[in-house]
Amino acid sequence: MMEKVRRFSGRRELEELIQTCISIENRRFNPFLLDISDALSIIRRHSNQLRTLEDHLLDMRAITSVARVVGLQSANLRFQSSALYVDPSMVKQKLDSLSREQLAEFLLLSWHPIVELEQLTLASTKEAKEFWEKMLSFFERRKRLRLGPFVGPGSADLGELARMRVVEEKAYTRKMQDLWKELTNSAEKDDEVDYWDFIRGSDFAHTIARAQLVSFLVSYGYANLLRKGNSIFLVPKAKPDPHPEGSPLSFPIPITKEALVRAK
Amino acid sequence: MKNEPAYYNEKVKRAAHMLFFKRGRIPGARSWELKTGLGKGYTKVLEHLDEGLKDLDLEVKKVEPQTLSDYKQRPEDGEEESRYFVRLKGTLAPKEARLCGWRIDNLAALAAALAIVVSKQGKSERKELETVIGNKAGRWRALTLMDTFLRSGYLEEDEEGLVKLGWRTRAELDLPSLMMLLAESKAPFAESSEPLDEDQASMEG
Repeated sequence: MMEKVRRFSGRRELEELIQTCISIENRRFNPFLLDISDALSIIRRHSNQLRTLEDHLLDMRAITSVARVVGLQSANLRFQSSALYVDPSMVKQKLDSLSREQLAEFLLLSWHPIVELEQLTLASTKEAKEFWEKMLSFFERRKRLRLGPFVGPGSADLGELARMRVVEEKAYTRKMQDLWKELTNSAEKDDEVDYWDFIRGSDFAHTIARAQLVSFLVSYGYANLLRKGNSIFLVPKAKPDPHPEGSPLSFPIPITKEALVRAK
Repeated sequence: MKNEPAYYNEKVKRAAHMLFFKRGRIPGARSWELKTGLGKGYTKVLEHLDEGLKDLDLEVKKVEPQTLSDYKQRPEDGEEESRYFVRLKGTLAPKEARLCGWRIDNLAALAAALAIVVSKQGKSERKELETVIGNKAGRWRALTLMDTFLRSGYLEEDEEGLVKLGWRTRAELDLPSLMMLLAESKAPFAESSEPLDEDQASMEG
């Protein structure tokens, strides 16, 4: 009976020893927390109670676990004597106290990134294929976002999209050419048109849009801008002289609602 | 007689192609690949390439195979498994790093993760790293950053779930310099080192 109890407690001690060694291997404790001579004396004390195959296997596991911890202690000593050694608690303190900018700067000062040219390879193609095959369907992914019931796609014509301001009704160049024609027609009589009269539209937004188009007409050589006293005139060119690099001069014209009222 | 400069020029070009163009998951080339492609004197060719790259602030870096375990020293026959890379000789300015797509948060998180792993002799629990990164970059971002570092090779996870330094760290980082800078550092006076709130942390810059 006594021997059975002794064997049971012996097994428990060995299992605890193995568990401690595993925790040390998993970096939960410092390897020097385990006193190797104590550990060996535990193993030695129970060595004469080994009866079954399980007992012998447990004993073997205990010995190899202790051997691994001795290895870790040796590695620890080698590491402490190397230039890389900094106490882990000190590192944690430093990391807590340093700013993100400082840490980033330290990394940058020690970082020499690899130069590599990406290209399509067999390995990357396989990886992409695997990704595609493992990817959940659109509806599965949508479920995760909790967007509510799915509304199927509808149709809209160009007019509707233009009203929604998704697309422009006319291309920009076409708009500019139309405005240039309008300017040419307006200036038929006097060869010039008052700037403010010409840009005025049905509302303020329309006026701004026309002013912007006019600025492109002038920049790209479709018209000239003339200043006479306080007045500004637009003179259309009979033959446009578009130069893609734009006008060498810049002439800002502030457009406010007050300026438009004043010009009336 | 072989025309030596022309011979080396051709070999150097081939070596540059092998090192610059990524052919597999990991960039660079292994010693045996270079030996096959350039011949027995490949180290001499790489020296020539290194010399040529100096003006561009680049260098050829040899990375030894990883130590097999905590206890065993590296075997002597590791030369066949060494890997060569072309990397920046100098360092990047913060602005340049941002242009390469690196945010300050990410750089800080990587520095913190590497410092912890190094201080723990090359292995650390993932949870501990996520906590440390979380203090710098926010809790949710810590999870994605850990995945990013693992995917890009700065960190590796072993079969026991412990995180260790990856091949990219061994190739790109001067760890003694990083640990020295960290050990010598002083915290700024009015520094906000408190964790980011989630909104700020999830912002892409």
